[in-house]
Amino acid sequence: MIDIQVLSFFVLAVASTASAIGVIIFKNAVHSALSLILTLLFLALFYLQLGAMFIAVVQILIYAGAIMVLFLFVVTMLAAEARDTELPDRIPWQRGIAATLGLVLVGALSYLLFTGTAIDASAKASGANSLSLVVKTQGDTQAFGLALFHGFAFPFEVTSLLIVVAILGAMVLGRKG
Amino acid sequence: MTNLTLWVLLLPLFGFIILGLAGRVMSRTAILTVALGTTCLAFLLAAISFLSMLATTPVSARFSDQVFYTWISSGVTIGIAPLTISFGLLFDPLSATMLMVVTGVGFIIHVYSAGYMEDDPGFWRFFCYMNFFIFAMVLLVSADNFLFLLVGWGLVGLASFLLIGFWYQRRSAVAAAQKALVINIIGDFGLMIAIFLIFNHYGALNYFTNGSGSTGVFNQVTAGGLPTLTTTIICLLLFLACTAKSAQLPLYMWLPDAMEGPTPVSALIHAATMVTAGVYLVARANPLFQVSPAALIVVAIIGGVTALFAASIAVFQLDIKRVLAYSTISQLGYMFMGEGAHNYSGGIFLLIEHAFFKALLFLAAGAVIHSLGGEQDMREMGGLRYRLKITFWTFLIGALAISGIPPLAGFWSKDDILSSVLAQATSGGEPVFYLLWGIGVLTAGLTAFYMFRLVYGIFAGGYRGTGPAEHARDEEEEEGIRHAHQSRSDYDIYESPPVMTVPLIVLSVLSVIGGFIGSLALFGASAWHPLVTFLNPVFTNPIWTNVPVQAPVASVPVQWLSTGLSVGLALLGILGATALYRNGFQYKESRNPLYQLLFHKYYVDEFFILVLIRPLLWLGRTASRLLERDVLDGGSREVGKVFIGTSGLLRRLQTGYMRNYALAILLGAVVIIIYYAVRG
Amino acid sequence: MSIPVSWYLIVSAIIFTVGVTGVLIRRNPLIIFMSIELMLNAVNLSFVAFSHFLDSVDGQMFVFLVLTVAAAEVVVGLAIIVSIFRTRRDIDVDDMNVLRG
Repeated sequence: MIDIQVLSFFVLAVASTASAIGVIIFKNAVHSALSLILTLLFLALFYLQLGAMFIAVVQILIYAGAIMVLFLFVVTMLAAEARDTELPDRIPWQRGIAATLGLVLVGALSYLLFTGTAIDASAKASGANSLSLVVKTQGDTQAFGLALFHGFAFPFEVTSLLIVVAILGAMVLGRKG
Repeated sequence: MTNLTLWVLLLPLFGFIILGLAGRVMSRTAILTVALGTTCLAFLLAAISFLSMLATTPVSARFSDQVFYTWISSGVTIGIAPLTISFGLLFDPLSATMLMVVTGVGFIIHVYSAGYMEDDPGFWRFFCYMNFFIFAMVLLVSADNFLFLLVGWGLVGLASFLLIGFWYQRRSAVAAAQKALVINIIGDFGLMIAIFLIFNHYGALNYFTNGSGSTGVFNQVTAGGLPTLTTTIICLLLFLACTAKSAQLPLYMWLPDAMEGPTPVSALIHAATMVTAGVYLVARANPLFQVSPAALIVVAIIGGVTALFAASIAVFQLDIKRVLAYSTISQLGYMFMGEGAHNYSGGIFLLIEHAFFKALLFLAAGAVIHSLGGEQDMREMGGLRYRLKITFWTFLIGALAISGIPPLAGFWSKDDILSSVLAQATSGGEPVFYLLWGIGVLTAGLTAFYMFRLVYGIFAGGYRGTGPAEHARDEEEEEGIRHAHQSRSDYDIYESPPVMTVPLIVLSVLSVIGGFIGSLALFGASAWHPLVTFLNPVFTNPIWTNVPVQAPVASVPVQWLSTGLSVGLALLGILGATALYRNGFQYKESRNPLYQLLFHKYYVDEFFILVLIRPLLWLGRTASRLLERDVLDGGSREVGKVFIGTSGLLRRLQTGYMRNYALAILLGAVVIIIYYAVRG
Repeated sequence: MSIPVSWYLIVSAIIFTVGVTGVLIRRNPLIIFMSIELMLNAVNLSFVAFSHFLDSVDGQMFVFLVLTVAAAEVVVGLAIIVSIFRTRRDIDVDDMNVLRG
């Protein structure tokens, strides 16, 4: 009997890879965007499998839900019918080299990852830091919330500042003229 | 004994500094006051010192060597002794005599220049340089060591350069100044090497033992002291310097060209004083020459040959100043010939007399030139006897003096030398002096001939020229310069102003009576030789030298023979000139090869241009082309090209496409990852 | 059997490479942007995997922050793209080659 975990892993792996390839393959930009949404969903499932409930949901809500909607807005406004693959390519040799380099990259990374050392047991967090302990006692979202507002409060505040800046930038850029 | 040499030295220096700094804005009167005043004062102080020396009775007391400043006193031994150099001034009969000549004739010529240079825009500059020259010459003759002799030697060379090229807008003047400087540097080289050798072998540079701590060079010179070869080499190197400065063979070529300078310059520097520095040096270094008989003979031979050589050229020259220039070279040859015959005082005697009549001749020629508005070519002169009376009579006196006609000055001095040359041959036992004596006598005849050719050419016959105004206008058109002489209307030839004629008269008086300070042994009055007596200690007294000069004296009959022959030939020369040119000088160009040779001065200048100048210029041009243009410029251009090429290649990376840049980033990342993969 | 962490990392690497290739190959700026999002997500996967295997919340925290920043970045980026390509008919990123050397 195949382990359900392994099976789901492989299924998800294949699916996310396929939809990722779909993002870059489709001629129609809308199709690419939809393909990206699919990839995000599969990744969310990955997160679930890895026990990050909160993150999975956040991913769907924000990434797939908000960011991709934004993307679709722009895509339909600008490039719905445009097909960039029909325009003459000014640097044709780029494709070949890019493809080759991509294969090299993935090969090298895989090699490194296969032959890399296993996770050092001492790197595992233990005691009060142990995530699984907190999750068991208080649940996943609480665990996340405790960490966010206790340990990571400062990055949280800075990030909010970042968001303000982004909003301002978008407003300025979006003005006509 | 009152020794005011320091002030004689410093006064012209002050004059030079004042005129140099402020001369441009000073009024004419002020300039003259400074220039003439300092020179006059210098002469007076020199005269006072001279008279007080005459009044000093023990001859040995006529020696004063004052050290003023010790410049270098290192403990470092070079050669045989530690190097000590101090600045001091020597006052002895020889230097006193030279001082009198330099400041006296210098002052007379300064006065003359006040008139001659009156129209020149560079008036202040002229007197500034002249004062500088007087200072340098005084330094040369009164320095008490070889080093400051060299300093004075070089400074007079500089003064000569500045004054020859005084009218610097003229290319020919600048070229002449450069020529003089370059040739003199060869002489300076000889002097420097000689000084090095002297220090190396004697361990000192000062002539005599003074307070500076080392024994004087001349006090150390003894017969059999150093090997004769060494002393001969030293003397020959010293004489090389004399050859350059006193325009003897083979370094005489600069003097005729030096006539590009104003006439007072020619008179002072290139007749009366600077060119006599060589004669002074030989006389001063007489102990060294006494222990190097071979060197002395070389001195005599070169002197004699030069005398004849220069006289032969002078016979056919057309520029009156050039005739006088070659005449100067010739007379200097006589002086060296006399010194070579062990008659040092004879050489100095002729030096003094020559200063008188050569300055007179040059100044008179200058007066002629001035009256004619700048004309120097004899073909354009003639018939000036009645228009320029004073000039004529003074010039005539000068011509008679230089021809050696008794009882004028030139006679006594020239025959003093000729007799001693003959005596060296007969009593001294050196046969080469017979030949030299013959050369000397022959040259005397030639001298008389060309001098009177000059006299008749300028003053006799009818006026052949076009008038002073015409000439001045032509020159101005040609060269666009302002001449020192004012244009006057045609045929408006006037005698020069008294400020110029009075010096002429003074000098002619000196040329007439000046000879009587010499020796009258010829006429049996063997006790009357004041100059010789005065100068003798420098050559014989133990304070000055350990190798006293023993000049052989000719017997009276021999003296009469020599004198008679030379005067006779001189009279012949005068007669010849009279016969040919009595009615004025007619210029006929002759195809005769001998004439061509002499007229073109033995083609010496052309020879040097061909052999020396052209190759050097070619070398310079080629080196400039090869090294500068091809190697240096080309090299740096090639380096530049490398950079441009490389940057051209690198520019191709900047395609402008963002995707290419992203590719490049990826490439870098992949390389790093592969590196880690391979490293393991 | 438990899935070793390297498997997740390999999946992450593959998706990352796909994203990189997309950036290099496509000329539509929006698709390029999407590929960049792919890359970010691949890295997010790595972080979560490590969070699980190291039993620490830091990985998830990082994903959270990356998410936030990605959102901000998308906002600004799209605004830029819109402002550049608004008036054009054909959108080709190679049109932006003014900085050619």
